[in-house]
This record gives sequence, structure tokens and C-alpha cells, in this order.
Amino acid sequence: MPKVTIDDRTVEVEAGTNLIDAAFKAGVHIPHYCYHPRLSVVGQCRMCLVKVEGMGKLQAGCATQVMKDGMAVRTDLPEVKEAQQGMMEFLLINHPLDCPICDQAGECGLQDYAFKHGVAFSRFQFEDKRTYPGRERIPLGGNVLLNMNRCIQCTRCIRFTEEIAGTAELGFFHRGARTEIGTFPGKQLDNQLATCVVDICPVGALTSTRFRFAERVFYLDKRPSLCTGCEVGCNITIEHRRGAIKRYKPRFNPDVNDYWMCDYGRATFERWRDLPRLSAPRLRQTGSGPGVATDPMRPRPDLAAARPPAPPAPAPVSWREALDVVARHLRGRAAEGAVAFLGSGFLTTEEAYLFARLADVAGTPHRSVAVELGPERHIPNLQGGLRGSEAAPNRRGAELAGLAPTTAAASDAGPILDAESLLRGDGAARCAVLVVCDSDFGAAAWDPATVERLRRARVLIVFGWADSPLAQAADVALPVATHAEKDGTFVNVEWRVQRFERAFPPPGQARPAVEALSELLARYDARWANLAAPAVFDRLAAELPAFAGLSWHRLPATGAALDVPAARAFPEPHLQAPEDTAVGI
Amino acid sequence: MSEPTAPAPATPGPAGSTAAATAAAAAAPREQPGWSAAAQAQVKELLARYPTREAALIPALHIAQREWGGWLPDAAIAAVASALELPPAKVYGVVTFYDLLHQHQVGRHRIRICTNLPCMLRGSDEIMETVRQELAVGEDEVTPDGRCSFVHFECLGSCDTAPMMMVDDTYHENLTPERVRRILRELD
Amino acid sequence: MAPAAFEPVLTRNAGNPAVLTVDGYRKSGGYEGLRKALAMEPDAVIDEVKRSGLRGRGGAGFSAGVKWSFIPKGKGKPKYLVCNADESEPGTFKDRLLMEKDPHQLIEGCAICCWAVQASTTYIYIRGEYTHANAIMEQAIKEAYQAGILGDSVLGSGFKLDIYMHQGAGAYICGEETGMIESLEGKRGQPRVKPPFPAVVGAFGAPTVINNVETLANVPHIVVRGADWFKSIGTDERNTGPKLYAISGHVERPGTYETAIGIPFGELLDLAGGMYRGGKLKAYIPGGASAAILTADQAHLALDFDTMTKAGSMLGSAAVMVMDDATCMVRSVARLAKFFNHESCGQCTPCREGTNWMELLLTRVEHGEGRPGDPQLLRSVCKNMNGTALCALAEAAVGPVDSLIKRFPEEVEQHIRDRACPFPRRRYFENGAS
Repeated sequence: MPKVTIDDRTVEVEAGTNLIDAAFKAGVHIPHYCYHPRLSVVGQCRMCLVKVEGMGKLQAGCATQVMKDGMAVRTDLPEVKEAQQGMMEFLLINHPLDCPICDQAGECGLQDYAFKHGVAFSRFQFEDKRTYPGRERIPLGGNVLLNMNRCIQCTRCIRFTEEIAGTAELGFFHRGARTEIGTFPGKQLDNQLATCVVDICPVGALTSTRFRFAERVFYLDKRPSLCTGCEVGCNITIEHRRGAIKRYKPRFNPDVNDYWMCDYGRATFERWRDLPRLSAPRLRQTGSGPGVATDPMRPRPDLAAARPPAPPAPAPVSWREALDVVARHLRGRAAEGAVAFLGSGFLTTEEAYLFARLADVAGTPHRSVAVELGPERHIPNLQGGLRGSEAAPNRRGAELAGLAPTTAAASDAGPILDAESLLRGDGAARCAVLVVCDSDFGAAAWDPATVERLRRARVLIVFGWADSPLAQAADVALPVATHAEKDGTFVNVEWRVQRFERAFPPPGQARPAVEALSELLARYDARWANLAAPAVFDRLAAELPAFAGLSWHRLPATGAALDVPAARAFPEPHLQAPEDTAVGI
Repeated sequence: MSEPTAPAPATPGPAGSTAAATAAAAAAPREQPGWSAAAQAQVKELLARYPTREAALIPALHIAQREWGGWLPDAAIAAVASALELPPAKVYGVVTFYDLLHQHQVGRHRIRICTNLPCMLRGSDEIMETVRQELAVGEDEVTPDGRCSFVHFECLGSCDTAPMMMVDDTYHENLTPERVRRILRELD
Repeated sequence: MAPAAFEPVLTRNAGNPAVLTVDGYRKSGGYEGLRKALAMEPDAVIDEVKRSGLRGRGGAGFSAGVKWSFIPKGKGKPKYLVCNADESEPGTFKDRLLMEKDPHQLIEGCAICCWAVQASTTYIYIRGEYTHANAIMEQAIKEAYQAGILGDSVLGSGFKLDIYMHQGAGAYICGEETGMIESLEGKRGQPRVKPPFPAVVGAFGAPTVINNVETLANVPHIVVRGADWFKSIGTDERNTGPKLYAISGHVERPGTYETAIGIPFGELLDLAGGMYRGGKLKAYIPGGASAAILTADQAHLALDFDTMTKAGSMLGSAAVMVMDDATCMVRSVARLAKFFNHESCGQCTPCREGTNWMELLLTRVEHGEGRPGDPQLLRSVCKNMNGTALCALAEAAVGPVDSLIKRFPEEVEQHIRDRACPFPRRRYFENGAS
């Protein structure tokens, strides 16, 4: 591999590497706007001009490749600095002084490079700045807003729609100083990845309508995490201010989502903001199934039409008390009927593992994972991209961890009361105890018909983060953390396990389900006490062949591919997609 | 994007008509032309000349512009994009790049007056002034009867006969204000 | 006072409309070069053209033979010739003359070039405004096919060649070779990053030669009469052959004049009848809008590539624009700045913003709103545009502006100091008559 020297630092790079990437490897940052590692090289912004020894004119770093040994590059010469200052001046003369009202402030390419590579004064004093009247806030579809005055004509957005999204809605119109970007009149950005153009726009020309004026970026805490919109498992950054999430941004992972994420995923956290939160464990006073007419809190289908059901009287209790009730139900009711464990695709692998262990302890084969199907997502990467069609991140992890019904068990106990039969059939009526963990399997928790079906179980125990109708109908409602509030792993569509850590603590008395389940299991076997996600992962890795050799602390940053043959033992989901998708856009 | 101005009438206004009549004629919507069979055949022949469909775009746009009465409304651009299987935004970008492709209504006769340096050195300012006075409209506007529109233009490659102008496909050279007035009056 | 009459080469048929037909062209000796070339090895043709010293007549002045030799040999990929007939450089009108008066000369030149580099398709990219020239070329091409000069077997040799006219749509930047290729491919005429150069990756990803009309028009004559003959014309071995000079502006007889390359400007001015209405020479631009302005005291300079470069200007397209002493240089350069601003493709930062800024600055100065720091500011903007842009248009735009500040500083200062243009607005026409 050829060696190149950049500012006296020598690195070895693959032949064909451009100077910006080579310099990055050498620890030197060559400023640039139009270059992006996943987009074609256009050499337009001229910000990356550097001196290549032996060549008279400055060369564009993005368009110059290292092909053999001996190339020497300097970025610290006066002529390079003057060129950078010249380019910054050119970009700023027609740029509006919008910083006070522009969302990009704090993460703006012009601000950053003006500070580092520009000059502190303007020589553009007696002329009028070029503007695009009427093009200051044009919705482009998706969630993208265009302010053409701020554009620096780098064409990243155009190349993105052509080369990555493949939809080519954006184009370069007119010529010279009047050049602008836009869509064909009347058309919109119409692809799942639309908001990615906001990520790659170096300035505030393209902004997200959902994030518009939401927060100054320098007040945001940024924590790495994973998206829960589907099973692709795009790596994201949760950006929040004291626990209020303001936006998701994609995080680079060349093995999963590369630099991208879809618009559906970006909006997933809004549910947490918009839905009421379950903040303390809650008990109903009675624990009987349907048909008890004297119970004022039990909805009577025969009376439902005549009189709306009275709201349940909440009875907040301590966790210990709530878990005591759960343990009592699990021990005491087995004779009355089936005990079913309904997991969701939102469970972390660790939670699912403990949930499955609880099902073991309760001695029941009735376990399954509920997942809804969502719109198909395509996330591009260099290996052909990934497709997601489930509306939850971890069905695979949950099933691997022990929540998939096994055929051996089925023959003993009759048909397995799985998600299908519980959510859409009459399975719950055969249940003495139905434990749901967690209730975030999509719109079903809000669907009165589904809630009514699940409520046919004699005892309904619900772990959930939202105070959904299902949680309200439960005999025991246990508040758990959203994924932003806990540590865990998800297994994605390609059977890659990825680790994430919490961004901020859960509110009120909500806690990660791992903790609650560990405490519950400890009542049966002290070896399960006081476990957090890392320890649980290490245990399941020791037990499950698919995870052989992995440990929480040594999981690579981009995730680890599981042993696929072992992993592929489970069937793909057969659930029907509901009318409305779980993750609304 | 600039919206098209009021469409020109299909037939020229009679000389001496009142202002109201010409205004009414100007407001009447023009019949929507489309690809004629002859034009489609021309585009088909064009495609055989190039290894890619895209390369036929600019010649196809010239043909389309003639079909659509001298300019390219969005419908024409969409039709060309569809015929060549190209993204509409791309075709729109090409149309707006070039000076001979118009996205808004032009007169039946398009006048382009060179005002670049060699013509400026031989009186193109006065030619522009003459045209402006004679047509009584501003630059890039269409006369009320839809007959003419004019713009200043860059070097047309006829500097030895400066000042000069191009009317539709014809170069008019060695102009004087008198000659210009005569040429304009003879346009129907 | 006129030099010994030059025996025209490129314009020898200009007054003979019979050469518009194949027969008429043949009668004047046409297609002899093609016949002779087909009997030579392709590489031998390249060598002859290289030896002749023919340099590109479109503006860059690069050796045509060397450019042809960059085309890779071998049958692997198709190869193309694109003839640059975009001719949009202000002051240039020679290619139009060649196409309208002697279309087969160009066709023959294209054919010989294609044989030399083994290309089987030529696109003649002609600016959209040249409708008349285009019609003449189309007709000549049609007849050439009928006469077996083009098609499956050129002059019966078995060599296949197609020539197509391709009309542009009005953009000066399409005269830049990679801008032209982009436009030919049906896109916005935005120049490409180089390398790769067109000889490696050109039209449709294939090796491509791009040559100007006048350059190709020389080729049949080089083949027929030999490189030595070509070299015997001109200043020295780096400036050879006949040259068309398009002279315009304040001269009595503007037009295209063919002489040996390197005619001194003063002699060319004489050929063109001297100054318009007996005026006094103030300045001239020797080679199109991007060439630095030369002053009256430089009227003795030879108009060839090297002399012009040494004088700080360029021969370019040999579009000679002459200005008398009633001309405001600031106004003239402001008009050129407006041209470059209009024609910038807008891709890259220094050209898009710089040409715009320069037009604004010069217009301000021209209209008497200049400020004391403006000349230095203009020079600084020029410096930031020079050598930083993606293609040569930015440098071209810098040419006249830089030379204005350098050679006419007092005139600029006067505009600023007096807050007005010192030159009265000129009337060329009395009440409508010439």
C-alpha cells in the first residue's frame, strides 16, 4: 500500500485513497463541504485545496488520489491558508446573517470553518447580497424545509437523492450566481431517507421540520444508542435536554446503517413525549376474570354500549408490594388455567432472557413475542443495504433468549398460547395468568378490541412504560424504562447483536425491566438477584450457542455477528400487518 | 420557480384593434399542443445517434420547444422526461441551465440583441433602446398581441457585422436604428 | 503597407459557393487529404500532425498531434471525436465562417482525425444559435454519406465513420472541453474534475479527442502538403501554420483575415482598414474576453501564442477587439465581467461568487459609486479566483479585470475620485441612420 506524507506525518493507505481520507488517517483535518465518503466526488466547494509537492497549482484534496509512494502534501502553508480564507470569504459574501434564527447554529459548517479558516471581517460592504425571494421556507416533503438563501451549492443533497436514495427528486436549477436546488415544480421529496439530506447539509439551508426551533444544539446531551423503529437497528445518537429527547441523528456504523437512517425511525421517540407515562406500580383491588357483575371496574361487554366503563381507580404501591402480588399470582393460579408469557419485540435480549427464565420457573410453555409489521424500510450500506419490515427492534433477540415457543413443549400442553392467539384469538380466556412484558408491541396496546381480548385472562400483569388502556386494564401494572433509559442489546435483521447504554434515567418509579425481573426471579433463586444488563448478557452468552464467545464489555462498537446457523432456527414472523402502523409518521 | 406569464393568444391580434380586444385575446388560453407524430419520429431518430438515451435530451428539448410554441411549460418538460426515462428534476435542471430554452412564455418572434463588448463598441446600446421604444415593452416581456419579446444576449459570433441581433433563427447584421425599426415592423 | 499577400489556405474556398457540394469541393482539391491519410498508418498521420506544430485554435493552444497521441491504442473501447463548434468567446466568429463557407473542409478534417485515432463517431457540437451554419453542415454531411465519404466504408476503405451535428442550447461554458462532454451527454454543461482527462475518460466514458473547428480544418492541408510546408508558415517552430484572425470593434473593416500566424497587431489593423473613422488606438484585446488588455504601445507585438504569453496576455481564439481613445475601459471590462458572471456554471465557489462580486464591484465603479479601496479589493478577488476554481472560466474572468487595474489605474482612480465616468456616452447613430 502506498505511503503519503501530510504535513510531515506519513501514513500508509490503500491505492486510490483521496487526500481528505488519507489526511484523516494521519490526524490532519482538511476542511471540506461537498465531499462525502459515500457520494461521488465533484470537487466543487474548493475548500479542500492543498499543496501537493511538485504541482504548481493547489489541488483539490477530494479529487486527488494517492496511487504510489512519495506523495508529499502540505496543508499548513500560507498559500493554502489564503485559499481557505478566500473560499470562506466567497461563501460568506452572499450568505445571510441568520445565525440567531438558524437551527444549524452550533453545528454549522460555515460557522466552524469561518472560525478556523476564515477572516473576522467582511469586505462585502456596498453591494446587495443575492437572495432567492420566496424561497426562504419551502417544504420539500419528507420532513425537510429549504431556505435557499443559506445554501452554499455544495450539491450533497442532490447527489444523495440520486446516488443513495435513488429517487433523484432534487436537482440543480439555473446557472451561475442564480443556481439553486429544488424539486420539479409540484413534486416533493418522496423517499424514506429524506431527512438524511438535513444531516449532510453543512449549513442551515435544509432543516428538519420536526426539529425546527426545538432546541439549540449546544444545549443537547448526545448519547449513542440504537433506533427501535424496526429490526434493522440503525445506530443513532439520542440528543436530549435533561431527559427530553429533541431528535435522533444517525451514527456511523459501516456494518449496519452506514451514515443513514430513515424518517420513520427519526420520529419514534415522539411517542414517548406524546403518550402518558406509567410512573409507579399500580394494583387493582380485585383479581377476578370476566363475568363478575359486581365489580364496578370491570368492563361488561353487555353493558359497554349502554354505559362507558368507569375509569380504574389507581392504587400506586411500592415495587416490592407489586412484585409480591405478581409472585403470588404466578405460584397460586397454575391450577386454574394456563400461564402465558407474552413478550414484545421491544424487549432487550437481557430482558427477554430473564422473562423466559421466569416462564421456566412458572413451568409454562406458553411464551411468544408479539411484533407488528410495519412499512418496509431500506437502509443502504456498502454491502447492499438492509431491509426492515417489523415495527420493533429485537424479535430475534427475544426469541433467541428463550421466548420462542419450542415444538417439544407444544405437544405436551396442547396448542401454544402465542401472540397470535392471545392478541387476535381467544387465547387469553384460557389463561389464569397472563404476563405481558412489555406492552409496547405497537398499536395493539391502545386497541380496545385487543385490550378486551387480553383482559379475558383471569389475572393480567403488564410491564409497560406507557399508561396505555392495556396498562389501565391490568391487575398489576409495572412501570418500566424506555430503551433510552436502560442498557441492553438488540439483535438486528442480520443477526447482529448490538449493545446500547442508557441516555438518561427513567422518570418516577419506572425502572429497567431487567432490574424488576431480576428482583422477581431472586424470589425463586437467589442466583438471579441484583443483576444488571451486562451481567445478564454474560450469562446468556455462556448458555446460548448463538452468543458463544461474546461478552458485554468486549462487544465491538459496530456489533457482533451471531453464529448464524444456530440463530436461524426460528421461523420468520407470520403476523399480519395491522391497518395503521405502530410508528406513525 | 418562475410561473409562466399570461399565455399568448393562438392567433395574432388584428392591427388597429382596441386595447381591450387585444387584452381579451391575450387572456384566452392557448390550445395545449403535445408531441406531434412527426416530432416523436424525430426524437426516435435522434436516439439512434447516441449510446445513451440521456444524450438525446438537448436535441429533444429543442424539438419539444418548437412543438409547445416556443417555450417549455412544465408539462412539456415532464413529457420529455417521460419519453427519455429521465428524472423530471434532472430535465428541469437542464432546461433552466441553457439560454435558448425558455420556461416562460415568449413572443411568436424571439429577438436576441447582442450587447457584448464588440457590439457595444459599435452601438448596441442604441439598438436596444430602439427595440425597447418600438415594441413598448420591457426586456423579457411579451408584447400584448403576443408578437414579440426581446432580450439582450451574449456574443452571437457576428462581431464583424456589429451591431446585430437574432430574430428567431435569422441573424440581422449591420444594424442601424432605422433598419431595426423596419425589421420589427415586418414581423407578423 | 500591406504585407506580401498571403496565399489563403483555410479560406481559399470562401468565395466559391460551388464547394458546398461534394463535387465542387473535390474539384478544388478536396478529400485528397482523406484519401492520402487512409493509405497511411494511423500513427503516421498523428506523427505528421505532431510534426507540423499545429496548436489548438480554440483558445488553449495545446499541440493537436500530442493530444491525438494520448488516445489509447487498441480495439477495446469505442473512441470519439468531438468537434468544438461552440464558438461563444466574445469577438470570435471564424469557425462560423469556416462552416458556412467550406463545410467539407471541416468534415474532411474530422474524418482524418478519426482515422488517426481510430474513432468511429464524431459529434460536431455546434452552438444552438448557429442555425444557418448547422443547416449547411447537415446538408454537407448528408451529401458526404451519399458520396460514400461517410458511413460503413469511408472511400471504400472499410473504415466506418459517422458524423453527427449536435446542437447546443446557449451556454458559453459548454465550450470548455469537459463542459462540452457533459452537455453532449444530455446534462448541465458543468465541467468535470480533471484528471481523468478526456483522452482517457471522455464522452460516454470513452477516450475522446476534442478539437476546435479551425484546428481540424488545418488537418487536410497538413496531410496533403506536409508538415514541413506547414512549419514554413509562421513565426517559429512553436508557432506555425496559417491563422484566422477575427478582428472587430473600432476598425473600419471588421472581419476574418487569414495570414501566417504571428502577424503583428499593427499590420492586422491595417488589413482591417485601420481605426474606425480615423480614431486613435487606445487598447486592444488580442484573444477573446479572457485575454489581458494590451495598450497602444504594444501594437507592434506579433499575434502568436508565445509572444502574447510573454506579454502577459494570450492569443486564445485570436478574437481581436480594438478600442479607440473615446472608449471607457472600466465600462468595457464591466461588460466582460457581466458576461462571465452570466456564463459561470455556478458549480464551484470561487467562480460562482467571484464573478458575481466582480460584476457588482465594477458596475459600482462604472456608475460613479466606487470607493477608494476598490482597486485593491478587485485585485484581491482576482487573486482568490486564480488557480482555485474547478475550470478555467474563473481565470478567464480574472484576465481583463486584472489587466484593467494594472494597465489603466488612473482611469479607474478617476471614476472613483470624480464619482462619475469621465467618458461621455457615445452615440454611434445620428437619428437612426448609420
